[in-house]
Amino acid sequence: MIFENYTASSYDEMFNEDGTIREHWKALAQNLETLGLQQLNVKQKEIDWRLEDNGVTYNVYDDPNGISRPWRLDPIPLILEGSDWDRIEAGMQQRAKLLNLLFKDIYGEQKVLKQNIVPSEVIFGHSGFLREVHGLYAHLEHPLMIVAADLARGPDGKMWVIHDRVQSPSGLGYAIENRLTMNSAVQTLYSNISIRRLYAFYEDFKSMLMKQGAHNKSEPLNVLLTPGAHNETYFEHAYLSSFLGLTLVQGQDLLAKGGAVWLKSLKGLRRVDAILRRLDESYCDPLELRSDSKLGVSGLVHAVRKQGITMANPLGCGILENLGIHPFMPKLAHFFLNEELILPQIASWWCGQEKECEYVLENLSTLIVKSIDRSDNQSGTFRGKDLSAEEQAQLRTKILENPHLFVGQEEVQFATAPSLVEGTIKPRHVVIRSFAITKDEEYEVMPGALVRVGSSDDSLIVSGQRGGSSKDLWVLGESGPVVPNNAYKPKATFENSLENIPSLRAENLFWLGRYLMRCIMSARMIRITLKSLANATRYDRQGNLHAQEILCDTLSHLSMTYPGFLAEGEDKVIDPVAEIWSVIGQNDRVGSLHQALNMLSNANTSTKNLLPLESWRIFDRMMREWSEYANDTLPQQRTMISGLDSLLVSLMAYKALIEDSLFAQQGLILYEIGAGLERAQLLIAKSRSMLTSVYEPFTEYEVLETLLGSSESLNAYRAHYRASIELEHVSEFMLLDSQFPKSLISEISHLLKLLPKLPKFKHDIYLSRYEEPLFEAFSILRLSRIESLCALAPNSVVRENMDALLASVSNKLIVASDELSKTYFAHYDE
Amino acid sequence: MLYHIFHSTQFSYQQWVSFSHNLIRLKPRDTPFQTVIDFSLSTDPAITEMSGYSDYFGNHLHHVLIREPHHHLKVTVRTCIAMDLQAIEQHRMLAQYAKDVTYGQALQALKASAPDVIDAKQFCMPSKFITKMDPTLRDYVASSFSHQRSLYESVQEFMGRIYHDFQFVSGFSDVDTPVEAVFEARKGVCQDFAHVAISALRSLGLAVRYVSGYIETLPPLGEEKLFGADASHAWFAIFIPGYGWFDFDPTNNIIPYDQHIVLGYGRDYADVAPIQGVVFGSGRSNVSVTVDVTREEMPAQNQSQSQSQS
Repeated sequence: MIFENYTASSYDEMFNEDGTIREHWKALAQNLETLGLQQLNVKQKEIDWRLEDNGVTYNVYDDPNGISRPWRLDPIPLILEGSDWDRIEAGMQQRAKLLNLLFKDIYGEQKVLKQNIVPSEVIFGHSGFLREVHGLYAHLEHPLMIVAADLARGPDGKMWVIHDRVQSPSGLGYAIENRLTMNSAVQTLYSNISIRRLYAFYEDFKSMLMKQGAHNKSEPLNVLLTPGAHNETYFEHAYLSSFLGLTLVQGQDLLAKGGAVWLKSLKGLRRVDAILRRLDESYCDPLELRSDSKLGVSGLVHAVRKQGITMANPLGCGILENLGIHPFMPKLAHFFLNEELILPQIASWWCGQEKECEYVLENLSTLIVKSIDRSDNQSGTFRGKDLSAEEQAQLRTKILENPHLFVGQEEVQFATAPSLVEGTIKPRHVVIRSFAITKDEEYEVMPGALVRVGSSDDSLIVSGQRGGSSKDLWVLGESGPVVPNNAYKPKATFENSLENIPSLRAENLFWLGRYLMRCIMSARMIRITLKSLANATRYDRQGNLHAQEILCDTLSHLSMTYPGFLAEGEDKVIDPVAEIWSVIGQNDRVGSLHQALNMLSNANTSTKNLLPLESWRIFDRMMREWSEYANDTLPQQRTMISGLDSLLVSLMAYKALIEDSLFAQQGLILYEIGAGLERAQLLIAKSRSMLTSVYEPFTEYEVLETLLGSSESLNAYRAHYRASIELEHVSEFMLLDSQFPKSLISEISHLLKLLPKLPKFKHDIYLSRYEEPLFEAFSILRLSRIESLCALAPNSVVRENMDALLASVSNKLIVASDELSKTYFAHYDE
Repeated sequence: MLYHIFHSTQFSYQQWVSFSHNLIRLKPRDTPFQTVIDFSLSTDPAITEMSGYSDYFGNHLHHVLIREPHHHLKVTVRTCIAMDLQAIEQHRMLAQYAKDVTYGQALQALKASAPDVIDAKQFCMPSKFITKMDPTLRDYVASSFSHQRSLYESVQEFMGRIYHDFQFVSGFSDVDTPVEAVFEARKGVCQDFAHVAISALRSLGLAVRYVSGYIETLPPLGEEKLFGADASHAWFAIFIPGYGWFDFDPTNNIIPYDQHIVLGYGRDYADVAPIQGVVFGSGRSNVSVTVDVTREEMPAQNQSQSQSQS
């Protein structure tokens, strides 16, 4: 009897007041009994494992344990009777219709204000009223395409509306993931139960967006606009975009011009038809909305004004999440529909009215007071019971200062449902997030929902951010036969081709390649320099000391941590090991390895969803170990070296995983171009520092051996030359030998081979602007002879020909990189 | 009577700017007292895309896209505007009647829901630059007001107090200086005085709006007026139920008559900022502005007629 000790203190979804099981739960109760508590716990573990394996997370801000928290799903679903649901469905349809009409009116004629159905302060005083979009929606019948509401069952057994969510409601992705997980993990619970399916709703959701494609009729380009990987529901953005066939983009991927919105893709600008918006509206356009937003698209509002883009949901709909509207909803239902509200609401009083304000102030200790505006980031909910006398007085002052910003609400005890909590079944409060979308001039309600479960016994706060769990909602009944919707099936390959890669992703892959190489090559150079310093005492010869100085100087050149070892006079480095430790671990030093790793970490975060799970794990572990290592004040040389050893092992494993798992079509080529450019530049930096000056023979030998060693090229050199290490040979090998894949000329010729694979490449008579400098660099290297490069002018100690050549190649690489960025990432000239 | 207005703004950026969206609010709106006769807007480098429209408050606005890479951006506007002196004089007469409305009556009327009152109510609310109510500022303004006293006369007195108590100092404040800081230091520029007045009067429950525009300045007696010696200007207007909006200029302690030209109005500066831009790839920018306002008396037609009659 797994429900033996189950006692609910308020209305319970499963049990009648007399403790008997409600009719529509009996089949599930039977299935749960058959399964048994122990097996149910096993199922919970399986669910946890599946969700983690799929990478389902909910990012929690300010969580000291990192930002990702695994998504939780309770194996016990919430069950609703078909007839109960039909009423909820009708109520949601009515509410969606009503909110749509209200939205059109607020941004149109404002009859509700002029006829005093809603006091104007409720609208004017709310930051969700965007004057910038007033008058822009008159031509649309249903601008509000998605309506969500949080519902909970009141003590009267009816489903009540707690609040509306229309800005960019989350949950559709989690809801489908929950259902799919239930299907595969707890099949046994479905025995003898028939529930409505979600498939048709999601197909209709796709069609709704595809129908917006008036501009590219055959292949509409629709995107999901996300604030980025740091957002709490980023998993859902990535998941939904792939589920719905949308391109996942951030503000920087888009550009507004000519009254339309364009996706910057590798092929060039592509006109966007519709945006599924998951970015809060105030951040959408730094020109007309919040000017401090770095997440939006400048000029986006103007594109809406020119009717060049459709947005789901439209800008300005945040005004509908205004709790101040709630008390007026019954009046609005009469005004717009001449109907009574089907779904009841919590009794609430808007403080902008004198009598209502008085009532709220008199009953502060029993009511819940909420700010009507969620956007002001202050804690907006005050539970009268929990407030001290002093806090009550403070709240009173706050209300009196700006009465129109507050509503008082009756505190309601909402229903509970059985949930698996720490191994046993307990009652937990549940809130249902229901969704409706437009379909054929009507609103269609999803026959399911995301159910969120309160985290503690009496907690009314049901929020993913605070670590509650979730449930699948089972609506009893049958679904019609599934008719696959072929009309708008996106082609499977479409978004996978290289030319459709958003430029931001391409750019991040490019930088992933650059920073990864920078980290690897710097770490190697530092390691070899430290080793050389550690050997100093063994030989203690003048030549050895000189070689060490050159290595140290090279390190400063390579990392560009100037002046570093090049400093003269007062700033001259006294303790080389301390200076090297600063080049390794000083976070705020430009050019330090720590900084390169941070940049790599950013690039990793932005490209993460393309990379395999193992690479995430390796990277996370590497960064954890690194932060421990770099925290040390000044470790022993041995510790420094072994820390670099393990860093390099992780970096190489990470590199191998990227190169192994990323398709060329997903953008591997950009990673390769970035990596190739970086390797070439760093090789030039090393060569200029180590090959162009004349040294004593012993010093020269040490330096040359280190150059080969730091490039992992020593064995290859020996195999090739079978001779002692000599300057001319080493220079030839590292710079000019096209047979050796790590030589400078090979790197550049490899880049030249990669470029024709880029989408905008034209097989033209003339070279493109980014190809030209690389071709020049290749040519001057190819035309060089090692005798001339190594030649010395009389009395000179510098091989000027070689230095000039390397400087010129380096400049050409910089130009190529810039031109490449302009053509493929910025698109400002299109 | 006509005004010819020249308004040029130059931005300098530290880096190349290759793509910039701008909102330009430099075309004066038409009011019962002024009508735009001629207007031109040009930029250097040249405009790639431009479209004009009206905002929620009815102010003119141009959306401008510039795509030529640049270090400097120059926005030049030339406006010719006709002032309707008769209408201005009629409005001055109307003010005489509006003086009958007391502060108490105004507060009562603002609770009603007549259409003009509903529209005015948004100017009672906090806005971007005027967010919170400063109790000391409220005390400061309250001494000029009582329920039985004429609203108009109280506001006029209050305007005079700002003029006498505050020092006009440029460079003390910028766009983001909070009203409280200006009030505490008792110094600032026209925009600050308008914000102080709006904040203070809103704390009394009144509907107040911010007006941006130009003012004609006259050279010291006997001197030639120098070109470009003018500046853009800002003041405030108050809503008197039943009579409408009345302008006050606290910087000069005058009630605007025929020397004030309105660009636009809003809840505060944020609604009418003359040029707002988002540039890609630039660091900080420097701005320099040149404004010139020149009066042209009405064409000789009327005069010659009256001469011939005499």
